[in-house]
Amino acid sequence: MSESPYQDDRGNNDRSITKSGGGTAQPVKHGHSSPAPGTPFLIGEAMTGGYGKGPDILHCCTIAVEPGEIAVIVGPNGAGKSTAMKAMFGMLDVRSGRVMLDGEDITSLSPQQRVVKGMGFVPQTHNIFTSLTVEENLEMGAFIRRDDFRETMAQIYDLFPILKEKRLQPAGELSGGQRQQVAVGRALMTKPKVLMLDEPTAGVSPIVMDELFDRIIEVARTGIPILMVEQNARQALEIADKAYVLVQGANAHTGTGKELLADPEVRRSFLGG
Amino acid sequence: MEFLNGLVFLTNFVVVPALAYGAQLAIGALGVTLVYAILRFSNFAHGDTMAFGTAVTIKVTAVLVALGVSLGPLPTALLALPVGIIATGLLLLGTDWLVYKFYREQKAKPVILVIVSLGVMFVMNGLTRVFIGVRDIQFADGARFVMTVRQFKDWTGLDEGLAIRTTQAITLVTAAITVAALFWFLNKTRTGKSMRAFSDNEDLALLSGIDPDRVVRVTWLIVAALATIAGVLYGLDKSFKAFTYFQLLLPIFAAAIVGGIGNPVGAIAGGFLIAFAEVTVTYPLKKVLTYWLPDGMGPDGLVQLLSGDYKFAVSFMILLIVLLFKPTGLFKGQNI
Repeated sequence: MSESPYQDDRGNNDRSITKSGGGTAQPVKHGHSSPAPGTPFLIGEAMTGGYGKGPDILHCCTIAVEPGEIAVIVGPNGAGKSTAMKAMFGMLDVRSGRVMLDGEDITSLSPQQRVVKGMGFVPQTHNIFTSLTVEENLEMGAFIRRDDFRETMAQIYDLFPILKEKRLQPAGELSGGQRQQVAVGRALMTKPKVLMLDEPTAGVSPIVMDELFDRIIEVARTGIPILMVEQNARQALEIADKAYVLVQGANAHTGTGKELLADPEVRRSFLGG
Repeated sequence: MEFLNGLVFLTNFVVVPALAYGAQLAIGALGVTLVYAILRFSNFAHGDTMAFGTAVTIKVTAVLVALGVSLGPLPTALLALPVGIIATGLLLLGTDWLVYKFYREQKAKPVILVIVSLGVMFVMNGLTRVFIGVRDIQFADGARFVMTVRQFKDWTGLDEGLAIRTTQAITLVTAAITVAALFWFLNKTRTGKSMRAFSDNEDLALLSGIDPDRVVRVTWLIVAALATIAGVLYGLDKSFKAFTYFQLLLPIFAAAIVGGIGNPVGAIAGGFLIAFAEVTVTYPLKKVLTYWLPDGMGPDGLVQLLSGDYKFAVSFMILLIVLLFKPTGLFKGQNI
């Protein structure tokens, strides 16, 4: 890790999500965006980069999401799926390539600035405030908003009825699937232009997983494009409008979910025949 | 009648003093627990922060008294208290800017910050002594009693009397208001919730757009208010002496840890637990037992379990037992 003699040993060890500089990744420092018209809604274009001074993990990797789509990133372990998503969110600095959102080049913005620009991000772990109630979690999600966010909160309660029922309970007391719903709800409170989910079904049971996928489809139906990293390749491809198979940090296959499910090579390599 | 006399005696010499002392410890422990929960280190300078706030309050009180200002039956120090809080707040913000900020930016381990706070403690200790001296200072004025022993005896007709000193009543009322205001702030306001969110998951809080510098500033200001209030209440109830406040660090930390450090409810419960344990163990209970036990069975000795000089041993013992068997404290606190 870091050579700093004062190094911290607490909290979410993935320090990169807050650009503190104490962790492994080198997040983007505050910068300015510039217009980049005529590109897809959200695109990480030809991204090359890795953690700290280490070797490149991404090799000229391109991921794009259009409005109204669910895009998934699948691939074998260590393929750089989460890394690709983190690069698009600014949690690690790409060495070449650029990231564009809604016609703006946001490559030099920090993760927090990207949230303000309309990116909603749900980390894989430590993605809720466990000691705060469900409702307070949602309120904290809306912290950057100064307007009345009750309407957004009501929409989220419609999407996730269980959260309304448990809104006064500490979020840490909920089940794994419910906690993921809180995490997604928290990210939706900023009314993001795009929602990014890092393995939303990690560590939940198959039944809960199906329910979570249903909920994610419902979120997509409200018009928010979704970019998702998934371990469960088959289910993910079934709901995907666009899918990226990454192998060793590079694009291996790209297509609609159905195309990739039908592709014999993808089936043989990743779906077990 | 025997039972009631015993009860009144116990209330007069144990329950009421312990309630007041417990409330003072509780407010002190709340300050310690807030620093631990949000800034994530044990602030050893807290006792001397209390001493500094009290010292400023005493000086301002002296000026007010010299000007002929008075609150009637209430101590004048209550008028000077806000000035003490503001001065302490400025001192803590200055200390943070000068010292803690550097270590925070380095992402220093909590143990390094503890040692840093130890250094801050010695500096504040010296500062307070240079400012006000090392003497014992009584600064309570106004009415001495809310209810005297004679009034109580005349009113009830019991043999034993119950006195409630003004400072004890003020301590309990002020403590109740302070705690209610703090909990309202933490649970109902946007800033308070953002402080709890920051304490819970720093990274996610930053991601949600919560400004860490603002959280730190507000925390120090609240800690300054809590420390000054606790210090002034203790000083009014007993007396002010810089060294005594330094020693208060032990029961205050014991209270915070027993209740579960980082948990405000725990700090309050811990404060009262430590206070009751300390007062009960060091007070001679002979008279109570004589009242309560059947005739002839009353104890011969004083039934003072521990000499008053050893009162800190009580905090130490409770601290050791809790850390050995339930390191997270009685309420769900953070692990040390």
